[in-house]
Amino acid sequence: MTATDRSLDTAPEDAQRRRRRLLLKIAVAAVVVIGLLLVLYLGCRFLTERPVTYDTMADHFKYGSTRGDLLTGVPVWIWQAMPLVCADILESVTGDRLAPDYRDRVARYSSADDAAERRRALSREGYKALGFLYETDADGRERTLPIGTTQRRSLGLDRTYINCAVCHVSTVRQEPEGPAELVVGMPANLFNLYDFEHFLFECGKSSRFSFLQLAPEMAALGADLDLLDEYVVYPLAIAGLREAINFLEDQAGFSVRQPEWGPGRNDTFTNNKVFLYGYPWRDLVPDYWTTGEVHPENVGTVDFPSIWLQGKRKQRSDGRPMQLHWDGNNDDVEERNLNASLATSALPPVIDHEAIECVELWLEDLEPPAWPFPIDRQLAARGEPIYRQYCADCHGAGGRDFTGRWVGYVTDIDDVGTDRYRLDNYTGTLAANMGMTYAKQPRRQQAHPCPDGTVYRPRQPRGGDGAYGGSPAGGYDEPAGAPATYDSRVAAVEAEEDSYRYTHYRKTNGYANSPLDGLWLRAPYLHNGSVPHLRALLEPSDRRPVTFYRGNDLYDPIDVGFVSTAPRDRDGRGYFLFDTAVPGNGNRGHEGARYGTELPPADKAALIEYLKTF
Amino acid sequence: MNAKGKKRSKWRRLKIWLPVVLVVGGVFAYIGWDRGFRVHPEPDWVMKDEATRFMYASIGAEFEAGIPYWILYVLPRVFPEKFPGPGGFAAFGIPWEQGMELPVGFTQRTIGFPRVSNNCAVCHTATYRTSPDAEPVIVPLGPGHTSNVEAFLKLLVDCAKDPRFNADNLMAYIAMATKLDVIDTLLYRYLIIPITRKTLLERERQFTWVYNDAYPDWGRGRDDAMNLTKYFMIEVDPPDDGTYGPTDFPSIWNLQKYDSPADDPNPQRLNLAGDTWDAYSVVMDSALGLLGGAPHDNDEFVAHVQWITDYAKRTPAPEFPFPVDEALAAAGRPVYDANCAVCHDSDGDLVGRPMPLAEVRTSRDRLDTWAGKYAAQANRVVEEMGLERRGLVEQDSPGYNPPHLDGLWLRAPYLHNGSVPTLRDLLRPPGERPATFYRGYDVYDPVDVGFVVQGPEAERWGTLHDTGRKGNGNYGHEFGTDLPAEQKEALLEYLKTL
Repeated sequence: MTATDRSLDTAPEDAQRRRRRLLLKIAVAAVVVIGLLLVLYLGCRFLTERPVTYDTMADHFKYGSTRGDLLTGVPVWIWQAMPLVCADILESVTGDRLAPDYRDRVARYSSADDAAERRRALSREGYKALGFLYETDADGRERTLPIGTTQRRSLGLDRTYINCAVCHVSTVRQEPEGPAELVVGMPANLFNLYDFEHFLFECGKSSRFSFLQLAPEMAALGADLDLLDEYVVYPLAIAGLREAINFLEDQAGFSVRQPEWGPGRNDTFTNNKVFLYGYPWRDLVPDYWTTGEVHPENVGTVDFPSIWLQGKRKQRSDGRPMQLHWDGNNDDVEERNLNASLATSALPPVIDHEAIECVELWLEDLEPPAWPFPIDRQLAARGEPIYRQYCADCHGAGGRDFTGRWVGYVTDIDDVGTDRYRLDNYTGTLAANMGMTYAKQPRRQQAHPCPDGTVYRPRQPRGGDGAYGGSPAGGYDEPAGAPATYDSRVAAVEAEEDSYRYTHYRKTNGYANSPLDGLWLRAPYLHNGSVPHLRALLEPSDRRPVTFYRGNDLYDPIDVGFVSTAPRDRDGRGYFLFDTAVPGNGNRGHEGARYGTELPPADKAALIEYLKTF
Repeated sequence: MNAKGKKRSKWRRLKIWLPVVLVVGGVFAYIGWDRGFRVHPEPDWVMKDEATRFMYASIGAEFEAGIPYWILYVLPRVFPEKFPGPGGFAAFGIPWEQGMELPVGFTQRTIGFPRVSNNCAVCHTATYRTSPDAEPVIVPLGPGHTSNVEAFLKLLVDCAKDPRFNADNLMAYIAMATKLDVIDTLLYRYLIIPITRKTLLERERQFTWVYNDAYPDWGRGRDDAMNLTKYFMIEVDPPDDGTYGPTDFPSIWNLQKYDSPADDPNPQRLNLAGDTWDAYSVVMDSALGLLGGAPHDNDEFVAHVQWITDYAKRTPAPEFPFPVDEALAAAGRPVYDANCAVCHDSDGDLVGRPMPLAEVRTSRDRLDTWAGKYAAQANRVVEEMGLERRGLVEQDSPGYNPPHLDGLWLRAPYLHNGSVPTLRDLLRPPGERPATFYRGYDVYDPVDVGFVVQGPEAERWGTLHDTGRKGNGNYGHEFGTDLPAEQKEALLEYLKTL
């Protein structure tokens, strides 16, 4: 204390008290202000909740969020670190899709200036082995995240998860050395959802999925974590993520008991069984991997479908919408989309209806690209009458004209004769339970703009005359529809509820007759992708390939399908060997005189040429 | 300040605060009423037509016995292992129309919050398929031969007993299905879930006999009706008196057949042993069983009972859905007249009136579950609720009623306890009837006249009926069992036409 101070000591006690009080006030004010600032900062940092949005519908489709990332979003740095931290798991899951030296390269760190970028490239290479596709941005650099993944800021993290595009975008090459052209809306023939899920589950369960293991890898990738990130945010996020991944495995892990799907395929409805009634897949008997057999209801593996021109699918010959899904179990585009969105973790309480509705609107008119190779017009013209005679009734007048007596109806299984696992996988029990999904979620009525400036306008409240189903008559005339009284009851319920609840799911007894838009890009053929190309589809099943390779994006314009005979790509990475003897993979059916497999070779050639114009 | 001033300032303070307290209290009371007790009307569609009303309209059971909707909703996801098989509520075999939110007989009312309960259709709606690939046909008022009601009752108790039946767990699953607002979240977490758990656990003791391993399960399509009445309505204690007599859910179509002329000295009675005086009383007593207590509103309840009674009286049985050999059926008519008509003909003196057990000699277990003294007690309970009905017969019954045979084809399995799978088996002597079979599979067998009861699918969907266990005996009713084969064949064909 100075002398002056001491002299002040003699001042009256009142003044001193006043000063102390003032100091106290200042201190309190400071604490309050700092506290407020802190709260403001933390609030901005952790309560900010917004997706990355896009200006075009194509980008919205490829990268836009369904809001599933709010539930199971993986922090982007962790997403990038996973293939590196879990390189061994990635190798065991993907097998020879991964370069043999991948793990060695992952194990070697660089101290060069571009070390972080090299790490990131290595991470992307890992995802490419799962079939993910990366676009390049304006300066020619690959994007951080692949097609079909979203980005959202939430809980102070940039998080990502899959969206619709992961299963409905792919590439096609016209020549081995040529560029891979991206096609939006085609089946994701390269994406291996089975491998991706198992990689996610196994990595999430492994001891390496911990902050201690992931943090150094994130740093090597270029992450710049602050103290809060390092001590609070990421440790909590990783703990939460482990739980989320475990839960996801409980939901979707059933495929471990099924034959491997291979790229471009998925078992949709077993997911619904688990989601709705905890289908006990761990108890599935028999287990394919120990017995080589499966229960007739436990395999529903099918190709990802193309999703172009949905608008035209809203009407068929009787004025009703076409029956959608491979077995025609639903005729309502909205319900079909909501159900597909469940796979992106967009559960009823979180789903971004506007985002989905914009995609629904955009897909109404989205067209597939035209056949890029030359067409022998004369030969195609000869094929047209053959198509009209054999195919048009069930598959439509042409590639863009979907009119036809039985287009969008279900053909009885005994008639079409294709593999019945998928049909039997969708049980009546499941169809009934589907009616609980989205229960008590009222439909939104607002029109809203979409990224490309179009406006989505909700339909009028649903519900109609109630007629539903119906099967081709003449040769196969058993009506598949339920008794009209009960459908009129469901229609009345639907109109009054006006909710998102599924009311259109029905058990059918066959497979749906689909329009053939973009047919050339929809190989391999049949619902389970068991026939590699159109030429083989026009052969009786005993002359179709017994095994072939899936996952190549090189196109074969002669046979009309993707190249299916090469076991490896130019870099020596293997394709998936598809075995039609495996349960669910059967390639029989859609054959016989009426299906064109007994046509003379010249007629088949003409028909195939004509189908190229679709 | 003097005392007066103090008082005045107190009063002034009170004047300021009282309205605040009243307003806040009022708001809370309103919210409590609105979210906890406010009764909302049912949707219009439940009254769309009579079948819809019967299968989906509330009879008021949500007030006492209602399960909060979102708790019921997540049970298949939280406790799949407690269901009789994979398939959620479909695993109970109760008919479920595709596109509907819940199975037939599951009703919903919003009383503050949505609640689910049951109506008569849960036990009295039949479903059948003409082949494994065919669409199910649902027949309101038919016997609910597929419904595993015991498993459903046990499910609720077993779930409540599980430590995972807590707010944290259930709320986590509910959050995957819907977004509850703050008030509903608080209500569910702190009141609805704990109270539901407590209520369900209180039921456990009353179910003592259901959990007694000495008795077989009811199985699909049956319930131990009179014991339910004893232990739940008149609360006989302990709830296991050593009797056990599950019986088939009866068809309740065409009940007008029981209307005897007013001057009939020995009028027909209802229930398997003629335990009840008239249809209206049976409907009321069964409905009270679903309510789990006195009605919320007697007038409303009586109106429901009256409508159901009228609907059941005037609605006929469905016809046999397969081709019938008319000539053979015609040949069967005299066989029927000679052997069956005396007891079963609707114009006869014996049908619908208790017949001494010694004459039919079927399993007596169901008879032993009831007595006139219980009828007197039950009648008193109902009277105390302020409900009027002719009620239960207050005397011991000598045996079972010979039933009318309308819609007989859909009423398999046969005998009061459903111990004989097909009509063909019923025409065999007891020693040749199947000792075990699976009941509750809905594919019909038009040759033997009954449901398919053997084979992998019947095994998968059905429940095992072992005729050697208590209440399950398949003996007795040895009528027509020694007819020549061709007469049996003709008789079977004729019975299809009833």
